[in-house]
Amino acid sequence: MSIKHEDKLSSVEVIQQHFEEKHYICSLQIATAIFLAYHLEKPILIEGPPGVGKTELAKTTATVLDLPCIRLQCYEGLDESKAIYEWKYGKQLLYTQVLKETLSDILEGAKGLKDSVAKLHEFGDIFFSEDFLEPRPLLKALREEEGCVLLIDEVDKSDHEFESLLLELLSDFQVSIPEIGTIHALPEHKPLVLLTSNNTREISDALKRRCLHLYIPFPDVALERRIIQARVPEIPEKLRNQLVTFIQELREMDLKKLPAISETIDWARTLILLHTEVLDPDLVRQTLNVILKFQEDIESVEAEIQGVTNKALKEN
Amino acid sequence: MDRTLVDFIKVLRTAEVKVSPAETLDAMAALDIVGYDDRQFLKNTLSLVLSKNPEEKEAFDSCFDHFFTFDKFQSNDDEAGSDSSSEFQDQQDDFNPQDGAGEEGREGSGGGQGMGQGSKGEEPTFGEASEDDSLLPQSELGKLLLSDDKTELAIAMAEAGRAVEVNQIVVFTQKGLFTRKMMEHMGLRELQEEISELRKMGGGRQINLADRLKKARDVLREQVRDYVERQFFLHADETGKQLREELLKKVKLSNLEKRNFKDVQDVVFKMAKKLISIHSKRRKTFKRGQLDVRKTLRHNMQYDGMLFDIRWKSSKVDRPKVMAICDVSGSVSNYSRFLLMFLYSLADILPKVRSFAFSSDLGEVTQLFEYSTLEDAIAKTMRDYGAGSTDYGQMLMDFKKMCMDDVNNKTTIIILGDGRNNYGEAKAEILREIYDKCQRLIWLNPEPRMSWTVGDAEMKKYAPSCHQADVCNSLLHLERVVSNLLRSVT
Repeated sequence: MSIKHEDKLSSVEVIQQHFEEKHYICSLQIATAIFLAYHLEKPILIEGPPGVGKTELAKTTATVLDLPCIRLQCYEGLDESKAIYEWKYGKQLLYTQVLKETLSDILEGAKGLKDSVAKLHEFGDIFFSEDFLEPRPLLKALREEEGCVLLIDEVDKSDHEFESLLLELLSDFQVSIPEIGTIHALPEHKPLVLLTSNNTREISDALKRRCLHLYIPFPDVALERRIIQARVPEIPEKLRNQLVTFIQELREMDLKKLPAISETIDWARTLILLHTEVLDPDLVRQTLNVILKFQEDIESVEAEIQGVTNKALKEN
Repeated sequence: MDRTLVDFIKVLRTAEVKVSPAETLDAMAALDIVGYDDRQFLKNTLSLVLSKNPEEKEAFDSCFDHFFTFDKFQSNDDEAGSDSSSEFQDQQDDFNPQDGAGEEGREGSGGGQGMGQGSKGEEPTFGEASEDDSLLPQSELGKLLLSDDKTELAIAMAEAGRAVEVNQIVVFTQKGLFTRKMMEHMGLRELQEEISELRKMGGGRQINLADRLKKARDVLREQVRDYVERQFFLHADETGKQLREELLKKVKLSNLEKRNFKDVQDVVFKMAKKLISIHSKRRKTFKRGQLDVRKTLRHNMQYDGMLFDIRWKSSKVDRPKVMAICDVSGSVSNYSRFLLMFLYSLADILPKVRSFAFSSDLGEVTQLFEYSTLEDAIAKTMRDYGAGSTDYGQMLMDFKKMCMDDVNNKTTIIILGDGRNNYGEAKAEILREIYDKCQRLIWLNPEPRMSWTVGDAEMKKYAPSCHQADVCNSLLHLERVVSNLLRSVT
């Protein structure tokens, strides 16, 4: 497999560096996953709590490599006509009408039914041909000439049947269309496939076996600080550290939904809009709804705000 | 190195990380790209390829750290030439890591220093001894022990380990056996003979040497024991656990002792997880309803309005309700405990379980299970309903009064009990009523079929009013029942 910016994937350090330029701070594991995905030509299945940057990773990969990012959002009931291909029914109908009109020309001179059928067969059969094929994301990704990043988002939301449908694509980079045959990816430009899952259900072993499995957990303090710095560079360092400590403390608590990186980033932006210099309990209370998404979580945290804020202030 | 990888994968498998042959091949392909120079990189790589969920990742991490312990060994051994070529590393990998011998060498160095060179001051006897080198041990092992070559020693130990197949160790009582076997393989007998011969010869130097050898032998024995211990944790701990689990599945539940409960619970959870993964695949069961005109028109627009693909209004078949009625009196309480445990571990695919407990009076315990942990709920159930003599007639009457209205043709009712009614009224006619109303009535009886009609057992009267009456007295039986239940209902 070779793509335009192969040099950007030459080693783990290089990958980390290039991703950082695009404001995506990736840990060693993440960089290793990208590195292997490219060199082994294997898809990556990314799991982790919501908001840790799974989808973002795919998008950033596309920007770093300067490739188109083709995205397939999975949902219940997604099937091959929406994911792989569909026939252009309207055009097919038009075609039959055109055919009807020219039928007498084609059949000219034919005697008897047998003869006519033979003549019809001679006439090119394009009813089910690529001309009438409407490619959907998966097929599009295979036919992309420069290669591409294919993001299959939230694969756990789709049905089991769809998962099986993906297997062929994931292991061999091909899809089969009964009327036409098997369509392969260009051997030199196979798409880089990333699948994300929120773990709402267990992904089948068959699919897991075909993928590298990357688990992105919540980041530790140092990494989260770097991420905030990369994403919200205008935030003062002191506030950033306090904010990260606060969030890390929250993650220790027993909450329905723990705040993820995306929430930390949103909160940082909120605090900047409010021209905050230092974290204080009242401000936290007012902006708590940015980081916590359930009323019961907000209620249970509100009692602890004073303590946690003080801790965040003391440590930084 | 391939062999090391395969050994490592074997260790992973015993630690319940499922690794398929295809993944092994992937790992080898990945190793070709990654190389062995960077430990962290290697670990990340193998973790990506081999472990496929968070629990497996955790198991993988600890296995990796235990298995590839060679770097400690190296840092200790080549402090001078720390820029050892990767070739040397590979060479070391070949015999050391899989047997955990690297660490051995390092640990040994503490004691080994003393016996070999004699670290001055600390142990004066040795210092003295090392000065007269004119007398050398004759046996192979003796030479090795006094030669101060820790690498050689570690290799010898690893080789002995492989020769006696220490990785086949299964239970901890085998530790002593394997330690002795390994020592023998390394040449213990010759060493012993030499020591006693030296003793016989007398003479200061000989005695001295004999003492040194004896000391060294004891240190070596310690090391070998440590080594076997580590191997046990690496290979056998999990295998032993699996063995125990298999046993627990088959044993009669009433014979379980309290100390086993924790293990059994783990087994139940594991079985439940298996069942969930088998049955969680939702089948689309629809009942075809009336013609859906709107959908049909919309769908057939693509065929130029020709109505040849007709759509029907469909009604989804509801998930079934399960009601479990458990006898919690002394004789059968254990079975009830595990049936309930099973049913509630399946909450993912059996969301509507209602449970009732009785010995004489029936009470609903669904709430208990919803709001407290499994153990608490079971303990409370046993406490509140466990006393009293069983009265099935009363139970059936209570059930009729309490929730006959909730029983419909989607309800599956499981009754767990021995049917021993203390010669009370059987009230089989009520059971018949329930039978007519529900989808399925299953009676699980822990007693063997033969005793179903003996004494005060009323199974003869109850059995005809059940869709299914089965013996159920081990986890395996329970699993089968629950699995059948899931098959019929999902």
